[in-house]
Amino acid sequence: MSRASPDWRTGLRWWAQPKFWAWAAAIMIFPLIWVGGLVTTHDAGMAVPDWPGTYGYNLFLYPVSTWLYGPFDLFIEHGHRLLGSVVGLLAIALCYTSWRFEPRRWYCWGAVGLLFAVIAQGLLGGFRVVLDARTIAMLHGCGGPIVFAVAVFMALAASKDWRGASATIESRGMSRLSTALLLGTILQLYLGAQLRHTLPSTSPVGFLSMVHLHLTVALLLALLILLIAFVVRRRAYSAAREIRTPANVLLLLLFVQLTLGLATWVANYALPWSELTAWLSQYVISAKGYWESFLVTGHQATGSLMIAAAVWLVCRVWRRQAKLVSQPVSSTISEAAVSPFAQAERTA
Amino acid sequence: MACFDGAFFRLLALNPPRDPVRSFRYMAWALACSLACAGCGPSQFGYAPNELVAASLLREEGTQKPQPIAESASQVVEAWFGSLDDPRWPADKLQGIVGEENIVSMEGVQRSAGAVGRGNDKVERGLYRKHCVSCHGLSGDGRGAAAMLLSPYPRDFRRGTFKFKSTPHGSKPTRSDLVRTLHEGIPGTSMPSFAALEQSEEFQEDIEALVEYVRFLSIRGEVERKLIAKRVREGIELSPEDEECVAVLQQIASRWASAESKVLAIPSPPELSSEELRASIERGSQWYRSEITACVKCHGPEGRGDGASQDFDDWTKDWTILAGIDPKNPGEWKEMKPWGALKPVIDRPRNFAWSSFRGGGDRQDIFRRLVLGIEGTPMPPIARAEGNNPGLTDDQIWDLVHFVLSLGENP
Repeated sequence: MSRASPDWRTGLRWWAQPKFWAWAAAIMIFPLIWVGGLVTTHDAGMAVPDWPGTYGYNLFLYPVSTWLYGPFDLFIEHGHRLLGSVVGLLAIALCYTSWRFEPRRWYCWGAVGLLFAVIAQGLLGGFRVVLDARTIAMLHGCGGPIVFAVAVFMALAASKDWRGASATIESRGMSRLSTALLLGTILQLYLGAQLRHTLPSTSPVGFLSMVHLHLTVALLLALLILLIAFVVRRRAYSAAREIRTPANVLLLLLFVQLTLGLATWVANYALPWSELTAWLSQYVISAKGYWESFLVTGHQATGSLMIAAAVWLVCRVWRRQAKLVSQPVSSTISEAAVSPFAQAERTA
Repeated sequence: MACFDGAFFRLLALNPPRDPVRSFRYMAWALACSLACAGCGPSQFGYAPNELVAASLLREEGTQKPQPIAESASQVVEAWFGSLDDPRWPADKLQGIVGEENIVSMEGVQRSAGAVGRGNDKVERGLYRKHCVSCHGLSGDGRGAAAMLLSPYPRDFRRGTFKFKSTPHGSKPTRSDLVRTLHEGIPGTSMPSFAALEQSEEFQEDIEALVEYVRFLSIRGEVERKLIAKRVREGIELSPEDEECVAVLQQIASRWASAESKVLAIPSPPELSSEELRASIERGSQWYRSEITACVKCHGPEGRGDGASQDFDDWTKDWTILAGIDPKNPGEWKEMKPWGALKPVIDRPRNFAWSSFRGGGDRQDIFRRLVLGIEGTPMPPIARAEGNNPGLTDDQIWDLVHFVLSLGENP
């Protein structure tokens, strides 16, 4: 296969393709965010008092039986650390394969950036434990979805759509809308993290302001997503139908997220107007109940998915923007980089 | 990491503006501060002095500046009860009180106090901050972060008053009363049920430990309140060694020590045929509307909680009516906002149509509520006929119980 071919990567085995490792990292980060969310929901951040070890053991040598059959908060905290390590290894693999086989230099640096982001997340998690600081836990909670977004970007940048996109959107409006959406979802994540990681000394007025801000930004984001979903259905975007998919996914996630947000409030604090109906009047919150934990953690995880979907939309819009004409992949890839695998493939 | 001490949250405690434009600016400012201050956080927390009580008492006296008095009382109780992270029990000051050793189990208090986490012994600590602090606040003052968004407001333990208990008006609750509230939760409110904890072996003792800490915070808070009152009304200098101060401590502790012996026995409910039950409900309806019970005044003729009399609870009356403030007049009650007052809210009588009884919904629970009342609220105990005292007999109270239950949509 020619080096100049856009499909040169098919000459590589799966494990040599950066695309594989980028997707693997993105897919593994999502459960990592879920487990991290469970750690916050169950206030299990200090279930293991030391770091980087676990109760004096090396992280990977902590007895499995003690981990699996020990207290639930220890189970999720240690599990979170192990999952984080797996993501770190995947980021290293992505770095290696990118620098070895990927011709786009910016992509290689992107892989390095992802690796550093994963390491920084690990360090933040570690400092949260060592310093027993809840505010670092909040930053750690904000950082997780950002790392997820970077991993999704790396996966998308290695996709067929990225390489095959051609300029079909003439207006800059959609790129502005999608960028605003991405920034808005990140801001909303930060506000949500402030509510999740409330300090014991937080004043009621401070918390109230933060709740109002969270709701206001939620309303603005909902309007923005509805606007995007409406605009992409217009005839002007008929030549760029691919951007409808992330817009539709965002619309779906919006409804899921609004439902989960309301459910999260009810699961945590009940509704303030309980005298409205018999059901509300009789409803008893279950502290640390299974469904309650599921809803609260799901709200946080869906927020991360919305950021990832916003990244997806931004990528598709930007690649179809005028002046960003997609070119076939550069022919600067070295013979040495392709040949061992391509030859092996041919031989096989 | 102690580079800032929750300063921006304290700044946010300024009165929020009401008009929309200013509210938006206020939120934008909160966001900017929040972004700027992220990354830091307090590593040590302390009890908040009870400035609201000091301010309301001083208002009666016509003077101001509650902070020094609240601070001096706080120092005395800190000398006796220790800090948030290192609680102590003033056993040396309580010698001679019957049952002193049984008032509070310090083992449970130690497990509940302090920061959340496990030590190298794998024992979980900081249960109160894990489960309670976001509503009830670090000091048990009912001013946790979420307090303003909840209805009713979270309980302020420092008054030593508990609504749902098995002891008479004016007595302290038993351990079982508090365990029950934690286990069952309170329907229609933000107070959750912690029953899920008991399903797991590792958490089975958590509820008992939390109850010990609630008792500890209540005693500590009540002593602090009484010391402030003594300082304002009698002008005595507060000191941990002062005999009058120690007497306050002993008086409150002894009331908690004697609570278990004051439990009121509730008779078994009568077994009735459907015919007898109908007759009982009919009689109960008459008692409901009688002058003796005066239920209609608050609960309304149909039991919808829409009676003519709508009042505030004692936690609100403490710093409003008792301090000469009209709780319905924002111009007056807002004077107390800087000291931690939340907007006064009417304590609405129960709507029986929803069949939701916060202190338990079976017949004995309702009988208990009728004869004991709900302390701290406008719900008084019903007078029981004893000797020459006028009131309702047990049979008549059961009639009333049956009538109240019959008002539910699904009786």
